[in-house]
Amino acid sequence: MPVLEAKNIDKFFYNPTKTQVLKKVSFGIEKGEFVSIVGKSGCGKSTLLYILSTMDTDYQGELYMDGETISGRPKNYLAHIRNAKIGFVFQFHYLLNEFSVLENVLIPGLKLGLHSRDELEHRAMEKLKFFDMQDHALKRANQLSGGQKQRVAIARALINDPVLIMGDEPTGNLDKKNSDIVLHKFREMAQQFKQTMLIVTHDPEFADGTDRTIEMEDGKVIRQ
Amino acid sequence: MKWTLIIEIAKALMLARMKQTLIAATGVMFSITMFVALLGFMNGLNSMLDGLVLNRTPHIRFYNEIKPNPNQPIDQSEEFKDKLNIIRSIKPSTSRLSIHNSASIIQNLEADPRVLGVSPKIAAQVFFNVGTIDLTGIVNGIDVEKEAALFAFSDYVTVGNHEDLNQINTVILGQGAADRMLADIGDVIQVTTAQGNRVQLKVVGYFQSGLGDFDNVNSYASINTVQKMLGEPASYITDIQVKLNDFTVAPAMASELRDIYQIDADDIQTVNAQFETGTQIRSMISYAVGITLLVVSGFGIYNILNMMIYEKLDTIAILKAIGFNSSDVNRIFITIALTIGIVGGVLGLFFGFLAGLAIDQVPFETEALPTIKTFPVDYNPKYYLIGGTFSLITTYFAGFFPARKASGVDPVEIIRGK
Repeated sequence: MPVLEAKNIDKFFYNPTKTQVLKKVSFGIEKGEFVSIVGKSGCGKSTLLYILSTMDTDYQGELYMDGETISGRPKNYLAHIRNAKIGFVFQFHYLLNEFSVLENVLIPGLKLGLHSRDELEHRAMEKLKFFDMQDHALKRANQLSGGQKQRVAIARALINDPVLIMGDEPTGNLDKKNSDIVLHKFREMAQQFKQTMLIVTHDPEFADGTDRTIEMEDGKVIRQ
Repeated sequence: MKWTLIIEIAKALMLARMKQTLIAATGVMFSITMFVALLGFMNGLNSMLDGLVLNRTPHIRFYNEIKPNPNQPIDQSEEFKDKLNIIRSIKPSTSRLSIHNSASIIQNLEADPRVLGVSPKIAAQVFFNVGTIDLTGIVNGIDVEKEAALFAFSDYVTVGNHEDLNQINTVILGQGAADRMLADIGDVIQVTTAQGNRVQLKVVGYFQSGLGDFDNVNSYASINTVQKMLGEPASYITDIQVKLNDFTVAPAMASELRDIYQIDADDIQTVNAQFETGTQIRSMISYAVGITLLVVSGFGIYNILNMMIYEKLDTIAILKAIGFNSSDVNRIFITIALTIGIVGGVLGLFFGFLAGLAIDQVPFETEALPTIKTFPVDYNPKYYLIGGTFSLITTYFAGFFPARKASGVDPVEIIRGK
């Protein structure tokens, strides 16, 4: 059973004129797969990711995650799914600057509320250790460098043991050195934990390091 | 939903914008302070001004009015009773000023559970003989203890002791009357009654009611003294003054007892309607001002929350992306608004109380109000309750719209927008 399955996803933008950005996009991701989506700017790959992430509900087609239908579910239920089953890594929006590094990692766990705060703190520290960020746990988020922030953001994505991690150009805004560290960590997650991941990227080197690459052009999947 | 997390996030957002949050809370604090101080001061003044008249006015006063008999013989005759009869120059019938059977009326009234107390009184028209000049005046014969207990008589005796009136042939003069007669304490003045009796009275004190005209004419003596002056027996009483437990029943009770005792009865509402109206309008104005202040501070909170939401769009988007739903975001911002309201409100109530204490210390001495030395302040908890409640209501509504806006933020739009 695929972890994520998209069937005939159509998406239109209405501003300024009606344009179709996604055309009958269909694909599936199996458990443990490390998949990248590549394509030129404007081919619709980010748009697709936001639909898959359940944040964008304005589309046609069907979406299944972990065996459930996602399309047409109420917003609050989708929020719960994002909390429990999906981990996010963005290109620019890393952390909540009002909180410490540890708290940033904790918040999705506190929101889910499956474990006590003590236990969550312990788990959060382990995730931070994996990304070699344990020494910065009590710093404010805005005291970190970009690469450090991105590593903490990935740790945060992992806190609820999501079935799927989604990334929108997670290395797009980082220099070579940090980009390599992040890429390396993604690979490690794929190999060590068999973490299912779906990453949108521009970076051919990143795409080469994944199990499978979905290539998009003009709103269509041309190769997968 | 876990409120601890919501409160934690709200707290972090507020700490991140400490200055704005403090300004908003200060706004609420200021308006609540003003609200409480203003209402306390206004109502303190109100009750003082009302007390000026109402404290000393009986809730029901029984008396005999001298007036023509409404049942003229011609109206009762068989032949003319259905006709329109016009009689000129009717004179009052020979009725007495004194209340018939006063002792049993007083006894009845005192047994009535609605009645707080009853005080008899005699009003006697007199001339004060000062050298060759006669000044007109009224000597009120009172039951000294009851008058002091029911109508705060002792508050208005500025010089001397009201208990000295219990000695026979003593008088407490109105300040105005005393000034005109140049009568000092211990002097003996001569009084001529309307019947022509001459009496010597010893001045034992002055009183000042706050109403100058009243003080120019009125003086007080004990009932026995006045009965003796008039040459009337101990049963002679012209007024019965009644104080009720609840003065709102006065009109109904007055009309009920008027028929039973067959004498005239005036209730306080009819006699002093204008005071109540004045009180109502004054407190209406102070409520209006206070609530305006609160609404203005509500707009302050609205502004600050709106700004905060614009600044924190990224935060809101990330929260939504990691699984917070719209109502969680809504609650976060409502929590911020209510926290500002509660903190500002509590401080406001505290400072309002302090402001009340401060106003209470401001000297306020006037000839007209002998018992008042400083501005009066009413510390009624009601105003604190209303102030506190309103601070919560206004901040809730000030937070309502920004919070709704925040909960409607589309994370995709924000995250893609960069």
